[in-house]
Parts: sequence; structure tokens; C-alpha cells
Amino acid sequence: MSVSELKERHVAAIETVNSLREQLKQKRRLLLDTDIAGYAREQGRNPVSFGPTDLVCCRILQGHTGKVYSLDWTPEKNKIVSASQDGRLIVWNALTSQKTHAIKLPCAWVMTCAFSPAGQSVACGGLDSVCSIFNLNSPTDKDGNLTVSRMLSGHKGYVSSCQYVPDEDTHLITSSGDKTCVLWDITTGLRTSVFGGEFQSGHTADVLSVSISRSNSRMFVSGSCDSTARLWDTRVASRAVRTFHGHEGDVNTVKFFPDGNRFGTGSDDGTCRLFDVRTGHQLQVFYQQHGDDEIPHVTSIAFSISGRLLFVGYSNGDCYVWDTLLAEVVLNLGSMHNSHEARISCLGLSADGSALCTGSWDTNLKIWAFGGHRKII
Amino acid sequence: MLKRLLNNLEVRQIMKAEKLSEANQLPPEYVYVNGEPLCHEELDVLKACSNPPKKMKPGNYWYDKVSGLWGKEGQKPSQIISPHLNVGGPIKANASSGNTEVFINGREITKVELRMLQLAGVQCAGNPHFWVNEDGSYQEEGQKNTKGYIWGKAGMKLVCAFLSLPVPSKPSNSCGEQVNSLISRSVPDYLEQRTLLKLLLVGSSGSGTIGEPWMIRQRFFINLSLFTEDERENIKLTIQSNVYGYLGILLEGRDRFEEESLAAVTKEQSTDETEHIGSKSNTNCQTIYSIGPRLKAFSDWLLKTMVSGNLEAIFPAATREYAPLVEELLKDEAIRATYKRRNELEMLPSVSSYFLERAVDILRTDYEPSDLDILYAEGVTSSNGLACLDFSYPQSASDDKYDTEDQHDTLLRYQLISVHARGLGENCKWLEMFEDVGMVIFCVSMNDYDQFTVDGNGLSTNKMLLSRKFFESIVTHPTFEQMDFLLILNKFDLFEEKIERAPLTQCEWFDDFHPVVSRHRSNSSSNSINTSPSLGQLGAHYMAVKFKRLYSSLTGRSLYTSVVKGLEPDSVDAALKYAREILKWDEEKPNFSLTEYSMYSTEASSYSP
Repeated sequence: MSVSELKERHVAAIETVNSLREQLKQKRRLLLDTDIAGYAREQGRNPVSFGPTDLVCCRILQGHTGKVYSLDWTPEKNKIVSASQDGRLIVWNALTSQKTHAIKLPCAWVMTCAFSPAGQSVACGGLDSVCSIFNLNSPTDKDGNLTVSRMLSGHKGYVSSCQYVPDEDTHLITSSGDKTCVLWDITTGLRTSVFGGEFQSGHTADVLSVSISRSNSRMFVSGSCDSTARLWDTRVASRAVRTFHGHEGDVNTVKFFPDGNRFGTGSDDGTCRLFDVRTGHQLQVFYQQHGDDEIPHVTSIAFSISGRLLFVGYSNGDCYVWDTLLAEVVLNLGSMHNSHEARISCLGLSADGSALCTGSWDTNLKIWAFGGHRKII
Repeated sequence: MLKRLLNNLEVRQIMKAEKLSEANQLPPEYVYVNGEPLCHEELDVLKACSNPPKKMKPGNYWYDKVSGLWGKEGQKPSQIISPHLNVGGPIKANASSGNTEVFINGREITKVELRMLQLAGVQCAGNPHFWVNEDGSYQEEGQKNTKGYIWGKAGMKLVCAFLSLPVPSKPSNSCGEQVNSLISRSVPDYLEQRTLLKLLLVGSSGSGTIGEPWMIRQRFFINLSLFTEDERENIKLTIQSNVYGYLGILLEGRDRFEEESLAAVTKEQSTDETEHIGSKSNTNCQTIYSIGPRLKAFSDWLLKTMVSGNLEAIFPAATREYAPLVEELLKDEAIRATYKRRNELEMLPSVSSYFLERAVDILRTDYEPSDLDILYAEGVTSSNGLACLDFSYPQSASDDKYDTEDQHDTLLRYQLISVHARGLGENCKWLEMFEDVGMVIFCVSMNDYDQFTVDGNGLSTNKMLLSRKFFESIVTHPTFEQMDFLLILNKFDLFEEKIERAPLTQCEWFDDFHPVVSRHRSNSSSNSINTSPSLGQLGAHYMAVKFKRLYSSLTGRSLYTSVVKGLEPDSVDAALKYAREILKWDEEKPNFSLTEYSMYSTEASSYSP
């Protein structure tokens, strides 16, 4: 077969794929007669009542001297690890605001950090293309620095996000600018599986974020600069289980819904979307018009413990609390008097759902708790 | 009050800021030493010596150069600082307002000091004049023998403490500690970050080998011997496999030339009807490009291995077994003839000649790459996509020494962050992390204009056009909206040479390059301003203008450019100095607008833009 013939067949195949995609889109539109908010209103549901006194800033964690890029809670014991542009990871005790560890990183350009399920180690990654693991219990060297206990190298691009597999201290998943996600075995330092990449169908641009389902730790979802989110099964690395289209800009963040059947995404187009894992439908769009100003990008999201509330951090310093059922903003943490002054880069909910921590480019972290008699939802 | 509002760390930071800020610095004119006001240098010397006077406030002091004694005018000594500093005037006899008639280094000492001397066992009868050195040894003036040590006697420290007199202490400021560490600083200098200017260095992304700004990065990193044993081993293998690669290209070229010349010969023969050709077997026709059967077998094998991409697989065994064959090959007439025509081999990079000349040495197993080899080698990068280098100005040619005297010149330090764009993904999302750099330095390799590479889609594209695309994407990135850009046109020397052979118009972006070339062109650089510029210089200027126009059409601002010769350290320093000056201009907010401004490291200036 000659080269030109092959080329022709390639072009024809692409056309077929595109037309099939169009058909799929049409079919979905037919099936999707309404979104969650519409249905909820029909049912007569009311937005949850949430006022400024329901979520108060109870702690301000100061100590970083550079922008905070990422944070993570422990599954228990209420510790937070945060990563900042000054090249340090700081482990905080969330209740007392004390710093228990300050880890100096070999590469100052860190983009992500994560706590292990047991709370004994932290992982971080960034522009140096490696994911470094630090054991918090290991002795410090003569300068008082913790040494890296394991370096996971193999990515050909920056490490944008990492997360430990729930209840497994020895496995973690990283996402990278080389368009792949990788499942690592920490004890050997080797890659167990590579999702995407050169010879497999995966993302076609930098992967920015990853989230593992709590109910089924074999499923995880990744969001990428190619405006899609992909669902993967760790047992099948060759191709994604499903691809979710809909966003019009880079998908900066993905997070599984607490029950594991849905997940939320946030993107540069200013919207958050809720997708259903089993059907593949886009269930809801969370977007608020901002007039003629520049549309703020969504930098990070988190669901409350029941899923009724969706916390969204934006690049203009706002932090909206959405009622997921009715797709309405019930509170803007960014407008409260002790809010962050710069872009909110990361946020996370504690394991028991009682507190939300936000990290920002103004170098501080703030912990917000449900105040008074407010029930945690 | 501050302590109540903020936590300790912030208070410390603020206080440190206050202490170090310019406005709160001690003005030297208010400090009088030995009756004379200090000038700036003297104050700096005082501050930077190994034992600086603590708590310097405006006032009158006296200073004993020989012993290092220091005190307030009219009082006994309060400290012992470094001796032999050239500050202030000569010490006066009544500096301490002493009335004991005993002199130390020309100064009448006070009663307390006299008491101390007596306790130390120094004979003070008869109004002696003593000469005391910094180590405490004393002699009578006019006499050579050292009588003893003032502070040598046990318990002297206690006595001195009791009498509130100073004793010599260990130096508090050892110069060694002020040297910055190379890759990362040991403590995040909270304050210094504010006065640290970051420069981001990005290069035109090619296919990963020669696309990076290898020149500037490697120039710094090689000097500082960054590579570990393992990395040196890897570099050696890289260089060797590169040489095999060049050899392969050469052999391919030889094949081609042989075919061409055979075709020409057979054409001649066929037009000449009187010749009986018989079989057209090529073995009868020998051209200068033909090689013997054994070498041909090796050549075919090497080419096959290269094409199948298994070149790395045959290492390092290949070096041992095939080295003699390679040696023979290189000496062969055919290869030499091909080598002469190497300019026609477009796949062969110009740097290959440096290595091929020494191929036999390089391919030996005990070959150790020299610094220059590493510098020229392609495909040699630092292990990750990003590298950082801190330096402070001024920098001499031996730039791995840090002048400690510059510490108080300004607090300005520079951090050069070099990014290997290819390694960080095509998308420029990672650029968001660099929104606080002072300036972005974009490197373009000038002699890429006729070189092609395979881009991400598998298409062969012109390297210069790829550079331009990358340049556009960086310049228009929202993170860099107000950022200053410095364009460095790199490898001017190689470019100057190449442009004589291959016209600039080979790159479609430069297709309107019509240089006005005068008839009397002198080749090498001469200092006469009447010399018209070389073709290379015209080309460089043209390229710079093209980039500037592109930049201003995209951003509406003006682009700074600089031309850098291949491996001359001075050239690189000049470019960095330019970068520094640009940053200084920004601070001082020039009143004039810079439109088409550019600086050259060559001297031709007689052509109009």
C-alpha cells in the first residue's frame, strides 16, 4: 500500500470518527432533556440556606513566603500539607496552626503535594518532572532538612498533580505535562501503568489534574488542557473508559463526587460542570455571568461531605459556595472581610467535612469552619 | 506593637526590612573616626570586615589601627574590631581622654585600662609607651622585643569583663559564608527574594537536540562542573553515538555522491558510441567515491542500524569492535572526498566537523570528554527540564568566584532560570509559574534558518519557523502581558560562515532579504568604521528587525535584541549585562520611548536601518 493511499484512508477515517461524534452529541442532547437544577426546581426544592455566619474563617496559616500552589489534608488527625513557590512544603497542625514540618525541596518549582493515607509521608511534584516522596518520621540531616526518601522519575514533562490511592500507602497516581498519567509503585519506584502517551489513546495535551474515586479506588478521572476529562480504569491502561467533552477551555481541576458516581470539573472557561460516570452525560453547568469583565478561571473545586455544596476557587480571589442541586451561589467567601487578596489556587475539605482550607497566591492559607450550630452538610 | 498584630516571623521580616532598607542606613558622614568623617567606601569597609563594630550610630569614635581597639571619643575602648582598616584619620593622643601618662599605640590610656595592664602583669612604672598588636603582644616603643601578651594571662578575660574592657573575639563575618550556593539557596532569604531579579531563559524548541539555548546554559554549567560521574559517562556515550550518527550521514552522502557520479559517467559513456560497455556492472566503474567491499559491508550495516533506530543498542560494544574499522573508514579516500563536500549534506550539522576531525580519539573506550566537547555536543542537557543559576554582578571571565565586596554594592542578585521548553510539554501552561520574573530572555539559534526538523505532527518543518511559532506563543501568553523580552540571536559566528554559502531566503519568512552588498567587502573584522558590514552582519540585523516587527505587531511594544557569538564568554556576558541594564531602565522609568533600538556586539555601524 502506498503512502498516499494510506493518507487517504487516514483522512477518511478521521471524517468517520468526527461524524460519529456528532451523532453521539445529537443523541445525548435528545436524551438530556433537563439538567439537575431544572429538575430540582420542578420538584419544588429550595436552595439551602447558607449565610455569612455559617462558614467562618477560624484560622489563618501564615508562614509561606511565596505563592501557595497546592494543599492536601490527611485522612485523619487534621494535618495539612501545603506547597509554595518559595520551594518549601509546610506541614501544619490544623487545630493549633503550628507548623510541624518545613521541608525544603530540591526544586523550588513545585506544583502539587499530597498526604499519604496513613499520614506518614508527603509527595510533591513540579517542573522538575519528578515526584518526590518525603517520610515525615525519618531523621533530618545535619542542616535540619528532611531528605527525599524516594524519587519517582520517568515523566517527560512537569508533574501537575498527584494523589495517593485511598488506603494504599504504596501507590500513587500522578498527572503530567507530557500528556500522561502514571500509577507508581512507591516501594520499587517503578511505573505500574501509564495512561495515555505516545502509543495509546489518551489526552492530547498537558494533563493538569487527577482525582481518584473513594468508593472504587480503581477508577480515576483526569482533566487536561485539551478541554476534556477522561475516566480511567487502572486495570486497563490502553485506553480511557470514557471521554467527557463539554468544556471550552483547559480543565484545571477534577474532583469526584462523594458517592463516586459523578465528578465535577473546573475550567479556564469559568464554568464548573458535573458529569455522570455511568452514562457520560453532562448533568449540570455551574456558571455565573460576570458582565463584561474578564471571565475568571476556575482553579480548584471541592465537594462538601454530602455533596450538596460545591466550593469553587477562582483566579480573581473569589470562592463561591454553590448549591449543587439548584446551581445557585449561596455564599461568596471572597467577599467576606477576611478573605484572600489574590487568586485562590487550591482548596480542600477535611476528612470529616467540618472544615475547608483555601490556599492562595497571597501566601496564606485560611481554614473555614461551619460555625455555631450549623450542621455539616 | 507589631508583635501583637502579626506573628513572629513577620515581625522579624519587617524589622529586617527596616534595618536593611536604604533610608535607614547609617549615613557615613555622621560617623567620625579619629576626628574625620567617613566616606562611603570607608563605611563599607568597616561593615564588611571580619569583625565589624557593633551598633554603629552617628557619633565620634576613635580607632586604633594596629590593635583594632575601638571606642567612643573620649572614652575607654568598647570593642576590638579588625585591625589595619583604612578608616578615618590617625589616632590622637587624647582620644580616650586618658590621664595616666601611659600610652598604647600613641593613645593615652584611661585609668581602667591601666588597672587592667597592671593586673596582666605589665610593667607600667615610668610612663611607658607601649606598642600593642592585634594578638595582644606588646612591646615598648622603640624596642624590638615582645614583652608578653596582654590577654594571654589566665583570668584576663574575667578581669576585662569586670572592668568592662573588650577582649579580642573570633571574627563574626567569615567571608566564606557569604558565597551563594549554586543551584538552591540553603535558607530562603526572605528579604533577598525581593531584591532578587529573576530572568527566564527559554530557547527555540527544536526536535530536542540542538534546539535549546545550550550555549548559554552550558557555558555556565560546564564551568561549574555540574555533571556527576554518571552524567559524564552518559555524555560520553552521547558524544560517541553522535559521532556514529555523523559517520552514518557521511556514508549516506557517500552513497549518494557515488550514485550521482556513476550516473554522470554512464551518461558520458552512453553518449560516446564508440565505447562498448557490455554489462553495466558498477564494479567496473570506479569513481572517487567508491570504497572497498569490506568497508562497504560495514557502511551498509551501520546505515541499517541507524535507520532502524538501534544505534544505542549497539553501544558500547560497538566502540571496541568497530573502532579499527572506523579508523580505516575515515582514512579512506572516498570518505575524505565526501567530507570535502559535507556542506551539501543537509542532515549533517555544522558542529559535526569538530567531532569528526577527532573521531578516532573520541571512539576509544577510554575517551574522556573535555569541557569544550561537552559544550559543543548535541543532546546534552541537564537531567530535568529546568535549571537555576544564581549570580551577582559584576562577573568576570572566571565567573565562578563570587566577589564578596559586591555584597554591599547593591543587594541586587540575579537568578537565571533556564527552561528546556521541549521537556515541559508543548502547551505553555507551566509559564504561569513564572509570572513574577523580571524579564524573559528568548534564545534563537541563528543558523537554524536552513535546517529542518520533525515537529510534533510528524511533519518536517523549518527550525526557524518553529522558533517563530514558539516565540509567538510565549509573547502572547497572558502571563507575560507586561513582560520585557530580550531576544538573543545566538551562534552568530556559525551563522556568518553559513550565510556565505546558503542564502537566507531559504527560510520563507526571510524571503525579502535583499542585502545591498558593496563590491569591496573585507572579510574579517577590521576596526575601520569605513568598512561596510559583512553579509553576516546584514543578515543578523535583518533577522533582528523581522523579530522586532513581529513582536510589536503582537504586543505593541518594543523588543530588545542582542547578537551573541557562539562560544565567546565575553559575548554572553555582554548580553547578560544588557539584560541587567534593561531591568535598571525599567526601574528608572525612562522618559524617552525606545522604538527600534538594538545593540550589537559587532562593530559595524555604517549601514542605515
